[in-house]
Amino acid sequence: MLRIHGEGSVTTCDGVTRRDFIQVGSLGAVGITLPQLMAARAKGAVDDGNDEKNVIMIFNLGAPSQLDTFDPKPDAAAEIRGPFKPIQTASPEIMLSEILPKHAKVADKFSLVRSCYHTAAAVHDTGHQMMQTGRLFTGGINTPHAGCAMEYLRGRRDDLPGHVVLPEPMGSTGGNLPHGQDAGFLGKAFDPFNLMADPSKPDFKVPDLLPPQEIGDTRLSRRKKLREVVEDTVKGFESSENAKLLDNNFDAAFRLMTSAKARKAFDLASEPKAVRERYGENRFGQCCLLARRLIESGVRFVTVNTFLTVFNEITWDIHGSKPFTSIEGMKDIVAPMYDQAYSALIEDLQQRGLLENTLVCNLAEFGRTPRINPAGGRDHWPQCFSAYFAGGGVQGGRVVGASDEIGGYPAEQAVQPSEIVATIYRSLGVDLETTLPGPAGRPFPVVDFGTEAIADLF
Amino acid sequence: MFYCVGIIWGAIVTKPNIARPLLAVIAVLVSSGVAQAEIELIPGVVKLSTTQARQRLVVQEKESGEYLGQVTESLEFGSSDESVVKVIDGRAVPVGNGTAMVTVKSDAGESQAEVHVTGQEKEFRWSFRNHVESVLSKAGCNSGACHGARAGQNGFRLTLFGFDLAADYSYLTRQARGRRIVPTDPGRSLLLTKPTGVVPHKGGVRLDVNEIEYRVLAEWIAEGTVGPSDSDAVIDNLEVLPRYSTQKPGDSQQLVVLAHFSDGSTEDVTRWAKYTTVDQNVALVGDHGEVSVVGSGEGAIKVWYLNINQLAFVSVPFENNLPNNAFENEPTANFIDELVNEKLKKLRVPPSPLCDDATFVRRTFLDSSGILPTHQELTTFLEDETPSVEKRARLVEALLQRSEFVDYWSYKWSDLLLVNSAVLPKSAVDSYYKWIRERVDSNLPWDEFVRQIVTASGSTLVNGAANFYSLHQSPEDMAETVSQAFMGLSINCAKCHNHPLEKWTNDQYYGMANMFSRVRAKGWGQGNTAGDAKRVIFSDTQGELLQPSTGRPQSPRPLDAEAVPFSATGDRRIVLAQWLTSPDNPYFARSIANRIWANYLGVGLVESVDDLRVTNPASNEKLLNAIAEYLTENKYDLRALMRAIMLSTTYQRSSERVDGNETDTRFYSRYYPKRLKAEVLLDALSTVTGVPTEFAGHDKGTRALQLPDSNVANYFLSTFGRPDRIITCECERSDEPSMTQVLHLYNGDTLNSKLQSNENVIAVSMKEMASSKDIIQRLYLSAIGRYATEEEVARLSEIIDADTPEEDRRIVLEDLYWSVLTSREFLFNR
Repeated sequence: MLRIHGEGSVTTCDGVTRRDFIQVGSLGAVGITLPQLMAARAKGAVDDGNDEKNVIMIFNLGAPSQLDTFDPKPDAAAEIRGPFKPIQTASPEIMLSEILPKHAKVADKFSLVRSCYHTAAAVHDTGHQMMQTGRLFTGGINTPHAGCAMEYLRGRRDDLPGHVVLPEPMGSTGGNLPHGQDAGFLGKAFDPFNLMADPSKPDFKVPDLLPPQEIGDTRLSRRKKLREVVEDTVKGFESSENAKLLDNNFDAAFRLMTSAKARKAFDLASEPKAVRERYGENRFGQCCLLARRLIESGVRFVTVNTFLTVFNEITWDIHGSKPFTSIEGMKDIVAPMYDQAYSALIEDLQQRGLLENTLVCNLAEFGRTPRINPAGGRDHWPQCFSAYFAGGGVQGGRVVGASDEIGGYPAEQAVQPSEIVATIYRSLGVDLETTLPGPAGRPFPVVDFGTEAIADLF
Repeated sequence: MFYCVGIIWGAIVTKPNIARPLLAVIAVLVSSGVAQAEIELIPGVVKLSTTQARQRLVVQEKESGEYLGQVTESLEFGSSDESVVKVIDGRAVPVGNGTAMVTVKSDAGESQAEVHVTGQEKEFRWSFRNHVESVLSKAGCNSGACHGARAGQNGFRLTLFGFDLAADYSYLTRQARGRRIVPTDPGRSLLLTKPTGVVPHKGGVRLDVNEIEYRVLAEWIAEGTVGPSDSDAVIDNLEVLPRYSTQKPGDSQQLVVLAHFSDGSTEDVTRWAKYTTVDQNVALVGDHGEVSVVGSGEGAIKVWYLNINQLAFVSVPFENNLPNNAFENEPTANFIDELVNEKLKKLRVPPSPLCDDATFVRRTFLDSSGILPTHQELTTFLEDETPSVEKRARLVEALLQRSEFVDYWSYKWSDLLLVNSAVLPKSAVDSYYKWIRERVDSNLPWDEFVRQIVTASGSTLVNGAANFYSLHQSPEDMAETVSQAFMGLSINCAKCHNHPLEKWTNDQYYGMANMFSRVRAKGWGQGNTAGDAKRVIFSDTQGELLQPSTGRPQSPRPLDAEAVPFSATGDRRIVLAQWLTSPDNPYFARSIANRIWANYLGVGLVESVDDLRVTNPASNEKLLNAIAEYLTENKYDLRALMRAIMLSTTYQRSSERVDGNETDTRFYSRYYPKRLKAEVLLDALSTVTGVPTEFAGHDKGTRALQLPDSNVANYFLSTFGRPDRIITCECERSDEPSMTQVLHLYNGDTLNSKLQSNENVIAVSMKEMASSKDIIQRLYLSAIGRYATEEEVARLSEIIDADTPEEDRRIVLEDLYWSVLTSREFLFNR
């Protein structure tokens, strides 16, 4: 059953859709037809031509302890400051915990926001919603993940999906609530492409991306032709969202599997061994490497989940008692692989000239209690935590906002999740008053009116 | 339509009521040919028992005994005795003790309310329990984001939503060296200077010195900060008016909230109640109970006051022009149809006609037993000349007796009970599954089924049900899982504080958990899958669970039932099981009835099926109550309810939409197509191709739905959304189509290898040298449950026969099978 620590839980016509990869399935339901969308794009209302920008969102499921990573408090009492020492970094403004030595070397490339907070229940799921979508889910309004909103606003650049989640979506974290990792009210047509495989496995391939050898082009096109005849007579499905979506998925899948570009993008084996090792030969490391390849190939938004659940693996969720690890445990298990992969990603993007146009943001659902608990861990603490940003127009080496003397509350420039998401949109060149079609056609701005990006980052 | 006012979108609307054009209403009435509208003053009886009492008056339009929208234009209020009560700004204000009538007149008529004024001679004092706490809650002071957080905020803590009065009183008056309260100069109390922003307050300005909330706190301090006492009047219940109303998009409605207290008094608490909308697509609500109707459907507003939740329901008919007699000839097979049609009529949603026989056969096979009809079964049914109603009934009866029916429902309850070798040893899984299966097979009544689980004792290998207590080893976990699985209630919020969306308190949670505190086992403690799998569950005669907030055990009691004495040594679970399965426990029958309903109709009356809290109403409350009652009357015979559902016209409707029911997804005006569940789909692929799927460790020919365990590696099953059986939640299963699934159908080895097999149906057809037409017909009948049309046969034959050399015929037929087995008609039950 659920074991919650901390604050407790809360608990168009057919012809067009088939030939066009733009997934109009749910558009019909929200009152926009494909021709309207096309017209909007043609006028530049949707695609404003500013589409060189990309995002890699690294989501630190479990939630790192701000005091033991990005916001050390060496002058606080022992039961607050924890066991790790602070170290100097490549930026005179930034001090980090000793468990992140490789972050220290690239600290001039990223900027920290040390004053994030949120006010929802202290369960993982709420933070996942807000940090990825900008809103807490209430009253049946599930705001889309920023990457899904981008796919709606700007479509795909190519046959490749606009938003890819690596290695797979977040699983259970105890709250039984949605995690905000899909297209929400935009409809499943704009859901991300979830890899569903571990790229560090020796036999890694994208599951079922390529047709088996015996199914050549002739058979593939015959199958498609036959299926079109079978599908032609189905009338009862027009009113079923899932049925419409499935049809669209067939078209999108066909384009994806026949795309040479997609094949190349996912081909991790073509990376030199040295590069693979540089990122670290583990799931997170190889996901970061794959993220870089996908961005290079034209995917606009890649979400990398550092962990998938807080239950069956050791994560940032350091409650101290089993099945969780203690603060010390972080040093050996979680931090090294994270530190290595992140620094490799930043250096690699920089060397390839991709960093300028690619925002790399590292987010989490909350922080952890300033006071160490009796089990030698720290519990959930949404009142104050850190996030950081590199590339995509963000200036490196800065610290924006500050926490109080124990890292318990924001002391300067408190930042809400909606401002984090607004920052992502700004980096992508999206006007913050752009609206998305919500349920029943009600327009929703990408972030609530009045929300601003964190200007000091740019 | 005369109305169709501009709809107000945007954040919560707090503007005053928009004038409601009466004319439009009359027009609607005429068109529906019903009696004339009247008005009603609410509340009908007003009690004003203190000098501070005020009662907001709302005038509601009424027709045939049902409330329509609020009337706000040209209203004239009057009082029969102004020495008793006056009406000022739409509020009844007490003047002197006595009884009088207030009257309202409008163009549409007039209405009266009786007013009882008492207590005017007594000096009035604000109560900590009922007023100070209300102000703190309404201003958000004790919310989780502010001082209600466990650690408080900036050193000042309140209990979440005021669930612990004594603690709150102590925090306010005793802590911070008494600086929070300055009795000699109330205005200097931090309790007042902080929220008004006189001194810096991180939480911002929450109170206005000119408003009554400020006055309540200030006067309470001035009067000597009297604390809560046992003699205080305690809230008994909360009443929201109008509880039910039928409105139109664009309408506004002011709700009136009355708190009824143990001393017989009533207070208008509209101002201090807290409001949230249940469905933003139907209605929005402002801070003080102003509802704005924004869309069609069934809306509800959740109202919270002093830890009690209540709902106000707003029905908003769809803007369809239905003829008066639209439902006159609508067939009704049983009580289900009557209640569904009543709702459809009210919401003006036209139903789709009945589905044809072929569709019905495939649908019932899949929904009841998770299998496809064979083409013989299907053609026999279609050729049978018995009247359709009769042969459909006969088919339903036959399905309920099939062994595949037992497979299907054993699988379903194994999902619910988490039969999973990742968390239980293999032999325990087998014992647990066998236990479930035997009971499904013998159609053990559901109440007895649940009683046997809840009270299970003995060896887990002998009594499979005892594995429930192998999986759940702490009293809290047992209490939460029993509530979730058998009542659809998630009580875990109440583990730390009173449940904000429910009536469950922290005390009730620990009372419930303490019912399990004496469950013991030999063999607990090691990993779940460790050891020889043998656990022996028994009930001890002593032992209590301590409630962390008090350090003492709560009296053991099942949620809101009577407590069991601490001294009783019998197995507390027997008492619990009796309460749980008693007809007086409304959650038990509703939960299982809703689960069964959702299985057949695709959408639960309450969504999700695991969330039956009071603030999550059913789309058709009457219907849910009726099917729950039906189940109780039939002694929890689940097959009886399934029979009633499958025989109803509602279940037998076509999935094709008609004009006006396109957007309905909750009221059952048509059958909602559903993608086949992962296991059903895999079995269907095996059946149609004639190539069984092999599962490691299981006999050849075992179908996916016959697997006792979810921990059997299969990429197809996990990709198509098989639940992991880790947590008790239907949400573990996903029936959503994804790209990954489509790629697997295209390129994966599940379907492709079945098509390539030398022992499949294609090989048989080749050997028989069957004609293309015969092959197509057989495929259509076995896969999508109907004959192919002549056009389909012609178009498909043309492709498969075109320039195909004989040696390629095999692969062309494989491609034909592929195209049908990836079609939506196959992948969906419709």
